[in-house]
Amino acid sequence: MASTMKYVRVPPNSASLAEARQRVFEFFKTACRSIPSIMEIYTLDDVTSPSQLRSVISSEIRKNAHITNPKVIDMLLFKGTEELCNIVEHSKQRHHILGQYVLNREDRTHDIGNKDQGASDFLKSFYKSNY
Amino acid sequence: MASALRSTILRHIRVPISHSLSVNGSRLTAVRSMSSHGDDHLDKQEVVDRVLDVVKSFPKVDPSKVTPDVHFQKDLGLDSLDTVEIVMALEEEFKLEIPDKEADKIDSCPLAVEYIYNHPMAS
Repeated sequence: MASTMKYVRVPPNSASLAEARQRVFEFFKTACRSIPSIMEIYTLDDVTSPSQLRSVISSEIRKNAHITNPKVIDMLLFKGTEELCNIVEHSKQRHHILGQYVLNREDRTHDIGNKDQGASDFLKSFYKSNY
Repeated sequence: MASALRSTILRHIRVPISHSLSVNGSRLTAVRSMSSHGDDHLDKQEVVDRVLDVVKSFPKVDPSKVTPDVHFQKDLGLDSLDTVEIVMALEEEFKLEIPDKEADKIDSCPLAVEYIYNHPMAS
């Protein structure tokens, strides 16, 4: 059922940044076109809308927009495609989708690597010291 | 005898063939009044309105700047990924599937309206 989605799997060796860029747009389009079936599989109709899911996908892509090495882009596309296939094949469950892509998007800050990214100012000063 | 009587009676009550179909001077070919094939094509103003609605409801776009001849990247300050996202939103709205070559050319509102208006499957 879902394995027919990406029957054409071009081997990941983009010759140039332009080709990698084209691959990114194709991946984005494939993801957007599978949004209706994703919403049906996980019954997301009352939680979110297709346009919000599109924005989420584009923001995830945009997080890595600064990368210039085509091989790294290929690797990221591979991971993204794998994630998309997992979601479409119903290997994940509703709470995975909700937690990762639907809820609490505004709490996530851009600096990854900081453990208490979603923490409030009170907690940050609390962690620093008691006094 | 009955047949002769019948034919004389028929000769008197023969109804003339109506010529109402040839009003235009030429015979009207089959007029399918019940079929809705003719209004498959969307109205141009309706296409423009729906395209503008889709662009205005895009979260990064300022609705007051959207006019029917706005360019996505030059006037609205979007980047290429946003342009692709708008094209996908239009695909969803009009139930189309736009091939990559055509989608790359859609850069602005008038081009989008043009493409959708000329697409036979738009609905």
